[in-house]
Amino acid sequence: MQDRITQVLKAIADPTRREIFHALVVAATAMPITQISGQFQISRQGVTKHLKTLEDVGLVHINTQGRERFCVADAKPLKEVNSWLKFYEDFWDSALDDLDSYLDGSS
Amino acid sequence: MKNVISKEKVFNHPIDKVWNAITRQEEISTWFIQADFKAEVGYPYTFTSKEEDCVPITGIVKQADPYTLIYTWVVQDTDTETTVKWVLQEVEGKTKLYLEHSGIAGYPGDSAVQMFESFNGGWDNCVSLLAEYLTEEVHAG
Repeated sequence: MQDRITQVLKAIADPTRREIFHALVVAATAMPITQISGQFQISRQGVTKHLKTLEDVGLVHINTQGRERFCVADAKPLKEVNSWLKFYEDFWDSALDDLDSYLDGSS
Repeated sequence: MKNVISKEKVFNHPIDKVWNAITRQEEISTWFIQADFKAEVGYPYTFTSKEEDCVPITGIVKQADPYTLIYTWVVQDTDTETTVKWVLQEVEGKTKLYLEHSGIAGYPGDSAVQMFESFNGGWDNCVSLLAEYLTEEVHAG
């Protein structure tokens, strides 16, 4: 779990990868790599490399159809990260409950 | 991802009592976490735990005049600075607390990873141990 979160965070730490991921989310459908790389200033090779990193953490799935490779976004790993961030939510909820009990107990 | 966690809670107690609970070292150490703390601007505080696995929290008090308390919150051995703000408001004899913890998700890549790693292991234990400690205190008292 921890390693996966670490990898997801590393994957989305790069602004270009976030943009690529965002483009796929907005597209809401599988996009061929050629079409994706057409939207970015960097080389097709660069885009492919970023897509591979996103694929490694499960943010993108790549399927080969004929001579073209299609990419589709998957936000599930981000939800895992978000649920981890929930740690602090729970932490403060618990702390404030403790404060409440403490105040009730001391006069 | 959002960068701020905020909480609101109303305590059925006078504002000064709540203020003391969140600013006095002995009181913080009782309900929250073992503290070396002074509500003085610039004071470098430390929140520790009796458990060895718990990573200490350090920071600097930025503001401490009734009824606003602000301090930075840094997990020891990381360079990621977050900020915790407590604001108290008197509402019909009760006290409304607004708590804000900002900077949670806005980390640059590697330090975020570092911070998350340092929390992931030990901190759950530290929190639940606190609850046990409080229960013991109640029974003892």
